[in-house]
Amino acid sequence: MSVDCERYYVELRRINKSFGTFQASRDVNLRIQRGRLVALLGASGSGKTTILRMIAGLETPDSGEILIDGKVVNDVPGSERGVGFVFQNYALFRYMTVYDNIAFGLRVKKKSKEYIDDRVHELLKLIGCAGLEKRYPSQLSGGQRQRVAFARALAPSPQLLLLDEPFAAIDAKIRLELRAWLREMITNLQITSIFVTHDQDEAIEVADEIIVTNGGGVEQVGTPRELYSHPETPYVARFIGSSTSVKEYWRFRFFKSLGDQTSAVVRPEYVKVFRKDENKKFAKSAEEGIVDDVIFRGDNLEIRVRIHDVVLSATRSINDPVVEVGEKVDVFVYRFLVVDGEKIILLDNSSLREESVVI
Amino acid sequence: MNIRRNEGAIKWTLITLCAIFLAVFLILPLIYIVATSLRAGFQTYWKSITDEYAIKAAILTLEATAWAVVINTAFGVCAAWTLTKFQFRGKKTISTFIDLPVTVSPIIAGLIYVLTFGRQSFLFPILDRLGWQIIFAVPGIVLATVFVTFPFISREIIPALTAQGTDEEEAAAQMGASMFTIFRKVTFPHIKWALLYGVVLCAARAMGEFGAVSVLSGHLRGKTNTLPLYIELLYQGYDFTGAFAASSVLVIMSIVILALRVWLEKKGVKDLDVRK
Amino acid sequence: MKLQKSKSIIPGFGLTFGVTITILSLIVLIPLCSLVVYSAKLSPAEFWHTITRERVLSSYYVSIGTSLVAALVNVFMGLALAWVLVRYEFRGKRFIDGIIELPFALPTAVAGISLTHLTTTNGWVGKIAYDLLGVKLAYTPLGITIALVFIGIPFVARSVQPVLEKFDIQYEEAAVILGASRLRIFWKVIFPEILPALISGFTLAFARGVGEYGSVVFISGNIPYETEIAPLLIMSKLQEFDYASATSIALTLLLLAFVILSVNAVFQSIVSKRISGLA
Repeated sequence: MSVDCERYYVELRRINKSFGTFQASRDVNLRIQRGRLVALLGASGSGKTTILRMIAGLETPDSGEILIDGKVVNDVPGSERGVGFVFQNYALFRYMTVYDNIAFGLRVKKKSKEYIDDRVHELLKLIGCAGLEKRYPSQLSGGQRQRVAFARALAPSPQLLLLDEPFAAIDAKIRLELRAWLREMITNLQITSIFVTHDQDEAIEVADEIIVTNGGGVEQVGTPRELYSHPETPYVARFIGSSTSVKEYWRFRFFKSLGDQTSAVVRPEYVKVFRKDENKKFAKSAEEGIVDDVIFRGDNLEIRVRIHDVVLSATRSINDPVVEVGEKVDVFVYRFLVVDGEKIILLDNSSLREESVVI
Repeated sequence: MNIRRNEGAIKWTLITLCAIFLAVFLILPLIYIVATSLRAGFQTYWKSITDEYAIKAAILTLEATAWAVVINTAFGVCAAWTLTKFQFRGKKTISTFIDLPVTVSPIIAGLIYVLTFGRQSFLFPILDRLGWQIIFAVPGIVLATVFVTFPFISREIIPALTAQGTDEEEAAAQMGASMFTIFRKVTFPHIKWALLYGVVLCAARAMGEFGAVSVLSGHLRGKTNTLPLYIELLYQGYDFTGAFAASSVLVIMSIVILALRVWLEKKGVKDLDVRK
Repeated sequence: MKLQKSKSIIPGFGLTFGVTITILSLIVLIPLCSLVVYSAKLSPAEFWHTITRERVLSSYYVSIGTSLVAALVNVFMGLALAWVLVRYEFRGKRFIDGIIELPFALPTAVAGISLTHLTTTNGWVGKIAYDLLGVKLAYTPLGITIALVFIGIPFVARSVQPVLEKFDIQYEEAAVILGASRLRIFWKVIFPEILPALISGFTLAFARGVGEYGSVVFISGNIPYETEIAPLLIMSKLQEFDYASATSIALTLLLLAFVILSVNAVFQSIVSKRISGLA
């Protein structure tokens, strides 16, 4: 029991929250380990920001308990929860300089002048913005603003850092750079962090652990790899990665129906497309399909192939032999994610076991 | 493509029309006031505006104006904060009531105070016992002035605060800042020009209010006469030079106010540029 | 009215809400309530008798008629002013832009006596009008209209100006490419866009005109049945301490203002619905 408290730094128990008639959180249960970098991933309106704001004390749950470091903090003001918050549009104080922005939280806590000065300069150096302290937020680039917001949240040395869509307001190009920067920064500081995002690439790339939210509830919690390979719900199966729905998956060879009410989802990674003359190890198990479209994706090709009345996507390397639109090709599907009610069952191609082919 | 070429004729016709219209309706009255007040010579003019009763009227006007500015600033800041930073039911009703006084005729504004504090009101016996005279006295004049300028300041601050949003305040509160700190450090810089602008409008209207004050004033020379009422008194006594001399003081004030307005508007716009 | 306290993290709701409601009650709500309480004491028959007296009725006609004409003049001149200020560049434009606000800044009584003296038959303007056209301005409904035009100048100009400023010239350019004439462009493209602002400016000027007192009371001459306006009638009833009559006339005026403003509100919401529906 005491080990549990030690391990989980943030815990939410049966949290409910409504705004008027809109239920933003439905019976949310969460546990986040100390030192982890966690993503709250979901579409807009899925309740992820509400969860973050409740942890920060910006919203109050209608029912349920929020625990930080083993203590119930429902009645503790946000400012005393040891939480740093980075707002979606940074919410930098527009009429204060960068220096005053970062110093604000420390001044509120009545720290000494010398301490504040040292701390602000230390943080400015950390975020690579030394020399910008006299600027106003309007005189900074998007990336710099984000870094300043980050520094402002870190200034009072919080135990927990919360970030609301930290990359949403930044140009696509700088975004990639900042993601890497933020991940490195948080890993070095070893501070427990939770960030909200609607961008699965962002979540997969940055987070140690992802919490997928949908309709106010938590769908699944896991590492990016777990969510990818073992989705537990149809929503996660469709939301993570790209996917194609296949109704009658049992028409594919070596797949059996798992019940009348089931359908399936398939990912491009589970589909292999070969030219007829290509050497392959499992020629016997492949089926014939017709190439519908070939789309150049920069570092690879997306092949859309028609088979059993559905169009499946697969990727091929640009170094592979060329396939043309209309060409007859061999298609091998090695896995379907079968949707059975609210569950997902992984269904592998049964020939894999027999032939022990390696892809 | 310039679709506005060959519009010279229309352009200058319209500009001339507007210029004549404004000259006749706005400029001419101003010139007339200054010309008439100086007609009898500068000495007479000076004597008129330094008349004991004129100065007393001016002081009362400034007093009522100061009250209106102070009360409406306190109200405007609080109302703007409540209406823009929080969500609650009844918001729309409150803003409707705030805006109501400017749509009411000044005479009716005066009337409702007479009904509230006058002899036939249920409050009258209480006030009488306390020895408080409200109507036909200075408090009535102050109340009327506050009423007719009631929304002037809140109406300027509310849009500025709405545009600013709540996230800066939220960030400050999340870090544990008190209400006073948040207001002074975070919110006030956003609204200072709007507030000043509202104060200028409020002061302008307060100094010039006539109808409502006229209802509630006892019309006692030197006691309950504001400058506009004093002008009326002189005018009805056929002391036109005196009336126009006193008017010229208010004309100068209103021109100063117009200049302040233009300056503040430019300031505010420049500030907006910095913000984004 | 049920008030739901917000659970916002931002402090100060209790204090600011309390101050707001207290001042609002003291200055606006309680006095308005006393009007309601007092009018509830009036008997309907008495009320009806007061407001249908010929002198009262004619004061309504004078107030409404002159306000209507003045507001219409201001619609045209306000539109012209807004157009000139938004579309053209010329010397003195800044001056015009500033001076438009003068009626807001100049005390109404000052405007009133000045306009009166200008328009009497030996005033600067009144003399010209009388000698050339044989028309008397001061102490006639025409004089009241002049005062109300003065008061109403900023309303229409200031409500149309921002709409014209925002109006995208691309619409006009598109219409020109399609071959529309200038007049047609104005009526079909620009006018519908500024109509709501025009109407709301008209409404404000009209409502203000009906209640106006300071600038009108000098120029009107206050001749019963001819140039006596409704607010003046309320004033004289008050001076006679005839509160019942004053309240009855005031209630009718308030009702009228309420109707005018509601019609405008309904119109504006219809228009905004239509525009958002189309967009």
